[in-house]
Amino acid sequence: MKQIQEPKTQTEIDSDVGIIATDVHKWYGNNFHVLRGVSLTVKRGEVVVIMGPSGSGKSTFIRTFNALEEFQKGSIIVDGINLCHDLKKIETIRREVGMVFQQFNLFPHLTVLQNVTLSPIWVRRWPKAKAEEIAMQLLERVGILEQAQKFPGQLSGGQQQRVAIARALAMQPKIMLFDEPTSALDPEMVREVLDVMQNLARSGMTMVVVTHEVGFAREVADRIVLMADGLLVEEGTPEEFFQNPKEERTRQFLSQIL
Amino acid sequence: MNTIKTQPLAKNKPQEWLQKNLFSTWYNSLITVILLAIIFWGFYGFFGWATTVAEWEVIKVNLPLFMVGRYPKDQYWRIWLIFGIINSLAGFSWGIIGRTAAKLFTRPVLVCLGVISVIVLLIPVAIPDKLLLVLMVGLVAGNAWVGKQLGNKISTLGRWLSLAWFMAFLVILWLMLGGLGIKSVSTNDWGGLMLTILMAVVSIFLSFPLGLLLALGRQSTLPVIKLFSIGYIEIIRGLPLISILFMGQIMIPLFLPEGMRPDRVLRAILGLTLFSSAYLAENVRGGLQSVPRGQIEAAKALGLNTPLVLTLIVLPQALKVAIPSIVGQFISLFQDTTLLAIVGLVELLGISRSILAQPQFLGDYAEVYLFNGILFWLICYSMSMGSRQLEKKLNTSHK
Repeated sequence: MKQIQEPKTQTEIDSDVGIIATDVHKWYGNNFHVLRGVSLTVKRGEVVVIMGPSGSGKSTFIRTFNALEEFQKGSIIVDGINLCHDLKKIETIRREVGMVFQQFNLFPHLTVLQNVTLSPIWVRRWPKAKAEEIAMQLLERVGILEQAQKFPGQLSGGQQQRVAIARALAMQPKIMLFDEPTSALDPEMVREVLDVMQNLARSGMTMVVVTHEVGFAREVADRIVLMADGLLVEEGTPEEFFQNPKEERTRQFLSQIL
Repeated sequence: MNTIKTQPLAKNKPQEWLQKNLFSTWYNSLITVILLAIIFWGFYGFFGWATTVAEWEVIKVNLPLFMVGRYPKDQYWRIWLIFGIINSLAGFSWGIIGRTAAKLFTRPVLVCLGVISVIVLLIPVAIPDKLLLVLMVGLVAGNAWVGKQLGNKISTLGRWLSLAWFMAFLVILWLMLGGLGIKSVSTNDWGGLMLTILMAVVSIFLSFPLGLLLALGRQSTLPVIKLFSIGYIEIIRGLPLISILFMGQIMIPLFLPEGMRPDRVLRAILGLTLFSSAYLAENVRGGLQSVPRGQIEAAKALGLNTPLVLTLIVLPQALKVAIPSIVGQFISLFQDTTLLAIVGLVELLGISRSILAQPQFLGDYAEVYLFNGILFWLICYSMSMGSRQLEKKLNTSHK
């Protein structure tokens, strides 16, 4: 019984925390201090929106969660795994963390379906039939089913971003990171991508979203975080954040975007 | 204003096309007339020479020499067999690759096959040889049809093509060299177009992976590999090919004892490969640098490890970009084989020089070199056409 008890408590701790970032520092070169001690905890099933002016380090911060950016000081624990320089551990984390980029970054030489099945087949080692079945379900969920055999270059920006979301979901990640997913889109395509993200949030996915979309933040976020100059300035529920922000910096930022 | 108003809209009349493009002003008319005169004079001179002065006998008599050099006459059947294998496999591959196409033998393809058959029939050789040549065209077409039928039935057949070509290469090598039951032929008796193509093809297939590795090595984060790659590329690119070939032909035998000296043809291939791979590495590097960082990040974010990122994401895109320059490098490698004539190999140019030394054909330079030129042009032009087809096939950006 003891042996069973112990791992249980471990999973219990793991099961309610997705990401714990503690005092993360990053320098570009020797003098540019992008992240100046940022701490953030994301619980499982929580949707955290990171806002902030450009150049505040929010993209850099979110990219440290799957080791696309290195950091020099502090610690990040993702899905119970401590992020360090061990490549094997980094690859394990990347399997469990999906990411959606501002520029979509679909693979132009592969069809939509191949884009979505690539990683399940090569990393998860699923048989092709299984990977394609799940991919088709995901493409249906994001509303791109009939485009499965096309190449990314033949799709609109909004469609490409929805494929990118399906591609990330195909690995069945526990956490999804969104790095300004709507910033490169034409205005009329923003809605379709945000809808997909909103549905994803409702299904209970743990999400960290860097975005400027106030409407999305207000409706979907459990918590909003404001970053400025490499620091975490304020965090709170959407209500607190938008109705009565505590910090002067937040008020200043909100007056600029609202 | 009047002229503009009265100008009719129809642009496809030849008269108006001429007026608009060649005779629009008095000086354009003058230039047109002068250029036409020069072109006419050139063609008149050439055709006059080709039909009256030129002695085409030298080509006709020495055709076997041009093609296969001093390969023993009683073993020609082996060359025919090799030619047949290549044509069959080429047709078969064509059929399999084009299996999804609605129609394999479209009108341009049929015209092409027809023209080739007519040209083949016009080649001045004995009747049995003519029939064999036509049979070769038939082999391509027939195997293409078979390949298409089989390819549609067994969809995985395409995967075995490269293996089939490799096995065919081994068989061809055996047929050329002999041994194992058939008479062996020394590489000293290889020559002509056959030797040119063999050396070029083998060098191309060896230099491609080597160039790829060097390009990747140059991008590597490991200092030893990076330094070695840069050193190799820069040293080879600083040397003229002819000096590398001389080194291969003359210096290597000096260093190695009698029994260990590699074959002359092998040394030539080695030199060509070492030379070409350095240039290829630079072409591939250009392609590698054209792949956006975001592609690599997206692949990593999906959990792919470095070798998979490279083989599944980076290289397919990089090579696609680099195809024109890679094929350009292959074409110049093919042409560079002529330098081997200087170090004493009897490939196409080398055998041409010894044919020109035959007493009854002394001085027939123009005929022989023109014939050389036509053969080289035909092969190089088909290579560049092939590269354009490949580019079209791989273009997925706006289909």
